[in-house]
Amino acid sequence: MTLSLRQIPRPLLLGGLLIGASLVLAVFPATFAPYDPVAMDYNALMHAPSWAHPMGTDNFGRDVLSRVIHAYTIDMQIAFFGTIFSFSFGIVIGALVGYAGGLADTIFGRIVDAVITFPFLVLVIAIVSVLGPGLVNMYVALAVVGWVFYARIIAAEVKVQKRLDYADAGRAMGYTPMRVIFRHLLPNAITPAIVYLVTDMALAILLGSSLGYLGLGAQPPTAEWGVQIADGKNFMTTGWWISVFPGVAIVLTGLGFSLIGDGLAEVLRTRK
Amino acid sequence: MTPALQVRHLSTTFGHHGTPVTAVDDISFDVMPGEVLGLVGESGSGKSVTLRSIMRLMPHHSAVTGSVLWQGCDLMTMTEAELRRVRGGEISMIFQEPGTALNPVLPVRVQIEENLRAHTELSAAGRAARCLELMDLVGIPDAKRRLTQYPHQFSGGMRQRVMIAIALASNPKLLLADEPTTALDVTIQDQILKLILDLRDELAMSVVFVTHDLGVVAATCDRMAVMYAGRIVESGPVPAVFAQPNHAYTRGLLGSVPRSGTERSPLLSIEGTPPGLTSRPAGCAFHPRCAFATDLCRRESPALQDRAAGQAAACFHSDRVIAAGLAGS
Amino acid sequence: MTEMKPLLSVQDITKAFPFPRDLLQRLRRQPGQAVHALNGVTLDIRRGETLGIVGESGCGKSTLARCLVRLHDCDSGRVLFGDTDIATLSGAARRAFNAKVQMIFQDPYSSLNPRMRVRQILTEALSVHRMRPAAEIPARIAELLDLVRLPMDAADKYPHEFSGGQRQRIGIARALAVEPQVLVADELVSALDVSVQAQVVNLLLALQDQLHLTVVFVAHDLRLVRHISHRVAVMYLGKVVEVGPTEALFSAPLHPYTQALLAAAPEIDPARRSRRVAAKGELPSPVNLPQGCLFNTRCPLAFERCFKERPALPASGDHRAACHLTQAEKE
Repeated sequence: MTLSLRQIPRPLLLGGLLIGASLVLAVFPATFAPYDPVAMDYNALMHAPSWAHPMGTDNFGRDVLSRVIHAYTIDMQIAFFGTIFSFSFGIVIGALVGYAGGLADTIFGRIVDAVITFPFLVLVIAIVSVLGPGLVNMYVALAVVGWVFYARIIAAEVKVQKRLDYADAGRAMGYTPMRVIFRHLLPNAITPAIVYLVTDMALAILLGSSLGYLGLGAQPPTAEWGVQIADGKNFMTTGWWISVFPGVAIVLTGLGFSLIGDGLAEVLRTRK
Repeated sequence: MTPALQVRHLSTTFGHHGTPVTAVDDISFDVMPGEVLGLVGESGSGKSVTLRSIMRLMPHHSAVTGSVLWQGCDLMTMTEAELRRVRGGEISMIFQEPGTALNPVLPVRVQIEENLRAHTELSAAGRAARCLELMDLVGIPDAKRRLTQYPHQFSGGMRQRVMIAIALASNPKLLLADEPTTALDVTIQDQILKLILDLRDELAMSVVFVTHDLGVVAATCDRMAVMYAGRIVESGPVPAVFAQPNHAYTRGLLGSVPRSGTERSPLLSIEGTPPGLTSRPAGCAFHPRCAFATDLCRRESPALQDRAAGQAAACFHSDRVIAAGLAGS
Repeated sequence: MTEMKPLLSVQDITKAFPFPRDLLQRLRRQPGQAVHALNGVTLDIRRGETLGIVGESGCGKSTLARCLVRLHDCDSGRVLFGDTDIATLSGAARRAFNAKVQMIFQDPYSSLNPRMRVRQILTEALSVHRMRPAAEIPARIAELLDLVRLPMDAADKYPHEFSGGQRQRIGIARALAVEPQVLVADELVSALDVSVQAQVVNLLLALQDQLHLTVVFVAHDLRLVRHISHRVAVMYLGKVVEVGPTEALFSAPLHPYTQALLAAAPEIDPARRSRRVAAKGELPSPVNLPQGCLFNTRCPLAFERCFKERPALPASGDHRAACHLTQAEKE
C-alpha cells in the first residue's frame, strides 16, 4: 500500500500534526518548557499571562506553560497505558470468542451486557476507590473495564471472517486453530479495533484528567492537566488562566486523536 | 421482413475518475419479429450494458449515443413519458437475480397488478383474472394461493417465473433477458428456457437473451452475436457460428467448452483473461490473447464484415481461423 | 479397472445442520429442525482416478467434499483413509492426513488470506508441514509457481493483484505445496469465465498426470465433469443415486434423476436441440425429506414401492443406481 501525500485524508493529516507535536513535547518537555514545572516563585503568585509567563502563573507562582508542557509526558502516557492493556487483552479474547462461538459466545455476551449496564466512568471510579488512587491503579481499572469493548468489536469481525474460505483453507491445510485465529483471522479483523483504539486514546486522556481532577489519578504536585484544572477551580474568577490553558491542551490532544481515528477509518475503508 | 428492433452505432461510456471508459463501443444489430437473439460474452464484454442501454436504464454518469429503432421510433430520443409506456409495456426485461429484482415486502399479486395498471386499461376484476391467467401461463401451480404470497416464499426457479409473469403482463413484443437462468440449477434452467421458447411461440415475441453460457445459446437462440471488450466480434445464425466460427475469439470460446468424445484431452483454451474496462488493448482488443494475431491486429481495429452463411466477423484473419477449425489446439 | 483397495472410503455417512432452537423448544425439549445435507453416502475413491461428483444445489456435494478433508465431522458413518477412520486422528497424525488429502476452494476471492503475499502463503504451508528446510523454501516456491504456470514475480504480490483464474492457480499451488495424494476440488472453476475455465481444467489434467494425483472433482457442470472424470457419482438430496464409469453413466444413465439431469443440460450442439422439459417440479426441502425414495416427488416412473421404501445403492457392481426400478429390471 502506497499513499501519496495528496491522497491522505485531511483529518488524518491534521490529527497527525497535532499528535506528532504532542509526542515531541511529551518526550522532550524540558527543552520547550521555560521553567521548572514544580518550582515555586513567591514573587510571582497568580500573575496574568505576560511575556515572561505566556500562560501566567498559578497560586504557588509556578509557570502554567511549563506545567502544561510537562503534563504532556503524563497525559500521553495515560493515552498509551490507559488503552494498550484493554486493547491487547480485548483482541485476544475477542478473537478466541469469535472463533469458538457457541457457549463461549453466550457467556461473553452476558459479560458485555453486565459491563455496558454501568456508565463507564462510574465503573472505573468504583474500581479505583477500591484499589486506592494513583496512576497505576487507574490503568488497572481502565484495563478491567475497557477490554470488553475491544473484544466485542473483534469477536463480531472474526465471526464474519471465519465464514470465508481462507479460514477453512487454513484448517484444511492442517494448521492449528491458534494459527488460524491469530495468523489469519485476527489480521483481517483488526482494522475496526485499531480505529477504536485511537479514539479511545482521546477518551483515556479525558478520563485520566477527570480522575486527576477528582484526586483519583495523578497526584499533586505532578503536572497533569486534570490536576491543574482542579488546582485552578477556586480561582476561576481571579485566575482563569490556571484552568483554561490545561483545558485547551486536553481539547487539542483529544481532537488530534479523534481526527486520526476518523482519517484512519477512511483510509482503511477505501483500501478494501 | 423488417426488423422489430434496430440498434445502430450504440456506444455507452462511463465517467470514470475523470477519464471516460467505453463499455459498449459502436455496436449495431437487428432483432427480427419472433426471433431469439443471443448476446454472448464473458465478464466485462459489455453484453449486459448493451441491454440496459437499449432500455435507457443506465446510471446518470454514463453517456449513451447511437440509435435504437423500435417500430419506427428512436428510443434514444423519446421523452421520459413516452419511454415509460414502452418500458414494461411493449418491451419487458427480466434479470439474473429474481431474488433482488422483486420487491420483498409486497405480495406477488400486487407486483403483477402494478404492471397491469400501468400498461393496460383492465378493470380491477379484469386484472385479477389476468393475474391468474399469467400465473398459469408461466407454470406456477395453485395460482390463487400463490398470488397472495411474498417473494421469499418462492424458490429461485419460481421467482424467475414470477418475474416472467410480471414481464408478460402487458403482452410485450420484445423480451430482454439478462442471464435469466444463470442463478438456477440445471433442471430448473431447462424448465425456464423452454418456458421462454413456448411463450415466444405463443405470444409471437422477439427475445434478446444475454448469456455467457454457450449451451444456453445452442439450446435456445436462433441467431447470436458474440461480444468482446465492448464490441460485437462475430454474429450469425447459431448453427452456422457453432459449425464454423469466423473469429479467433469465438473459436477459442467454443473450444473452451468440453465436448463428448474428447474426454481428458486438453481443451482449446484462450490464454490470459478478458481485459477490464480501463485496460482495453489498442488495435483488435483480442490480440494479446490471440494465436492468429499479427502486427496489423496490434495496430488497427478490424470492422465487422459480412462473411458466408449469413455470418459476420470483425477479424483480419478469418480465413486462417476457419482453416484451423475447431479440432484440438 | 482392477479391484484395488480404495484410497478413501466413505461409509454410510450422514450430516445434518440443526437450526438453532428457540427458548420454548428448548424448554419443552423438542427436537429442533435440521437441514439434512447428507443422508447415508457410501462411496469409494480409487487411487489415481478422477471421481466426479455432480448434483444440483442442495444435493450435499460440497458437504461431502468438506467431510472428506474433515472440515466437517460427519454425524454417523465413517470416512476411511487407507485403514484409518479419519475421525480418530488428532495432533500430528491429523496434520499428516491434512497434508495427504488437500482441498481447493470455489471462491477465488475469499479462499486466499488478503493480507498475505503469495510467498507467505506458500512458505507457511511448507514450513508448518516441514516439507523443506528453510534454506530450500525459496527454490521450492519457484518450483510450485512454475508448476501452476504463474510467473516468478507472482510470489511477492498480494491476492488482490491477480485475476480469478490466477488466484485459483495460487490455491492449487498452496494445496500442492504439502505434496498431497488426493485433491478435493469443490467447484474449482465455476466462478471463472469460460475461456479461463478451460485453462484451469487443462492445468488440473496436466498436474494429475505429472504428480499421479487422485482427484475428487465436485461440480454442477455436467460437461466439465464428463470431460475430466474417470468415474462419476450423481447426488440428489444428500444421497448418491448413481455411480459408474463416466462413459457408461453418460451414455446409458440408470437412475431417472440422472436421465433427467443429463437431458436438462443444454447440448453444445444446436442441431440436437430439444423442446421437451427434462424434469418437472422442484427440489424438495432438505429440512423435510420425502418418505421413501427421495426423488419420488419428481420421478415420472415412480410406483407404489418408491413411496414406501428408500432404495439403497447396490453394494457391488461398476455401474449402479439406487432405484427400485433398475434393480428390479436387473433381477
